[in-house]
Amino acid sequence: MVMQDIPPSVSLEAASLGYNSDRPLLAGIDLTAGAGEMIALVGRNGSGKSTLLRSILGLIPLIGGLCRIQGTPVQGFDSRERARQVSFVASGVEQPAITVRELVALGRTPYTGWTGRPGERDRAAVEHAIREVGLEPFMDRGMDQLSDGERQRVMIARAMAQDTPLMLLDEPTAYLDVPHRFELVRLLAGFRDRGKTIIFSTHDLELAMMAADRFWVIHEGQVHEGAPEDLGLTGLFDELFRDAGIGFDPVTGRFRYLVERRGRVSLDGPEGPVLTWTRLALERLGYSVEEGDITTRVVAMTSAGGYRWRVERRGSTSSFDSLHALARFLKLHD
Amino acid sequence: MVLMVLLLGGLIILDIRFGTVRITLSDMIRHLAGTRDLTEQQLIILTRFRIPRVCTALLAGAALPVCGLQMQTLFRNPLAGPYVLGISSGASFGAALVVLGTGASGLLSGWSLAASAWMGAGLVMLLLLFVSFRIRDGLTILILGIMFSSGLSAVISMMQYFSQADALKSFVIWSMGSLGNTTGKNLGVMAWTILPFLLLTMSYSRVLNGLILGEDYAVTMGIRIRRSRTMILASTSILAGTVTAFCGPIGFIGIAVPHVVRFLIRRSDHGILLPATMVTGMVVLVFSDLISQLPGTDRILPINAVTSLIGIPVVIWLVILNRKARAI
Repeated sequence: MVMQDIPPSVSLEAASLGYNSDRPLLAGIDLTAGAGEMIALVGRNGSGKSTLLRSILGLIPLIGGLCRIQGTPVQGFDSRERARQVSFVASGVEQPAITVRELVALGRTPYTGWTGRPGERDRAAVEHAIREVGLEPFMDRGMDQLSDGERQRVMIARAMAQDTPLMLLDEPTAYLDVPHRFELVRLLAGFRDRGKTIIFSTHDLELAMMAADRFWVIHEGQVHEGAPEDLGLTGLFDELFRDAGIGFDPVTGRFRYLVERRGRVSLDGPEGPVLTWTRLALERLGYSVEEGDITTRVVAMTSAGGYRWRVERRGSTSSFDSLHALARFLKLHD
Repeated sequence: MVLMVLLLGGLIILDIRFGTVRITLSDMIRHLAGTRDLTEQQLIILTRFRIPRVCTALLAGAALPVCGLQMQTLFRNPLAGPYVLGISSGASFGAALVVLGTGASGLLSGWSLAASAWMGAGLVMLLLLFVSFRIRDGLTILILGIMFSSGLSAVISMMQYFSQADALKSFVIWSMGSLGNTTGKNLGVMAWTILPFLLLTMSYSRVLNGLILGEDYAVTMGIRIRRSRTMILASTSILAGTVTAFCGPIGFIGIAVPHVVRFLIRRSDHGILLPATMVTGMVVLVFSDLISQLPGTDRILPINAVTSLIGIPVVIWLVILNRKARAI
């Protein structure tokens, strides 16, 4: 394959990472990120996600092993060359008293002369980056006049202006609401589609599963890598969150709260949304929905202008006009 | 900016014009034009006292706020400045050793005073450097600086308590600050120390810009952080140490002027901030000097008190006016 000739964007070889050389947080790590891949780094708080990112950036020296960027060991770059290879967006949202344009222009630091004065190319790169994240109306606003989501995009535009083949982001979606998270991941996926390698840490597994080509999962001092689906199949996700009361259902590919099991019900009704949502409601309550002769039977029906539900058990029948009413009934009488 | 430079020019002329001995502007112009000579005494006053005094004000006025600006950017803290970091206290400690320790009454003009103030400032700087190689966190360094500063002040108090009355008075006068003690040779030393370091600082504007988002971002943007931090701390302690050695502690303009400049020009590019800070600092200090001479009287106020009294209302006004926008 042609890919073989291109060195991976990042490779860690038997790397040991951490702040204390006697007790590395992660030891003997082997990982690669191919050029143009989008990688989601997941793991519990304190598992070493930030340490891993900061080690690749050269902010923390490796305790052992080797980290290469585009085939060159990180220590082999001088600081300016390295800054032309990797850019970084830290967790947390910055709010210095500075305009959007000035902040994004800081990304050109590895390219400017000793005065730091931007040239024509720098100015073009800055404006291009601001357009990429859709903030051109805010170009000359102060950072203090933006929302958290906009500020996060400014920080990403700054990394974009740094014009590096590799971009690392530490929990870029942490302070954002759901629509902004999707918007941000789509933005990163767009960078990936134009050839950048993106590595971002996140706690938002479902979001990451939609976009990432590959996961790096840190679990109990080990790093597992693979396509999200590969890791789902091995049961790793389920293991990762089990003691936090979250389960990963390898059948549906969804996360669910682990709730007390309530028993079995059977479910009938017309195929379509009403059946799907009724099943979800029953599962949320802790029922397992099964076929066959079961004492509790739930029937979903379409009626004029809406839906109705019937619960039949031990000869008695009750009917409901919402899933909420159905759920309350089952909770009280089971 | 142009306005500031014009203002500065006007203030320099006024500052030369006013003093206990009356020398009018028209006399000076006629002297330069060669139409009428000033008296011998007037010439001595001008060349030995007033012009060096203004030059001192210009040098100190440029140097101190530049220290403050660099510290505020490096530590990302609006309260940072040479005084907070203990560099000025180090210089005071050096001076106290000479004045109180030897009971020297040959006040202020001595090289020994300057050298020991430098050494005191340098000592604190070395401590800060040593710490900053071990601790990455700028805030921790700032807190340690405050501790050094308080510790040295305590030692100075003890020395004052046990010292002779003459020496004590000399030291107290030195600690009130004065721009009038740098004649001839001292002024030369001051200029040859401060000017190169101001130029050096200008060449660091790219680095200072890179530090706006903090040290981690600076590193990932290709800035050699240890070298930069060492350079910034070294130039700060030499600038602040020199001014303190020759003029005594001059409070407040180091910390206040950068805020005034940021408020006025609303830019964060140090390529602009640095020269603007220098010019504004010169304006403020020359103006303070003018006030301290109380035009129309023959009394002189201590410069340290004047800079504080002028600076405090300005900063309070800025803080209230600009409450929402953070300084850094």
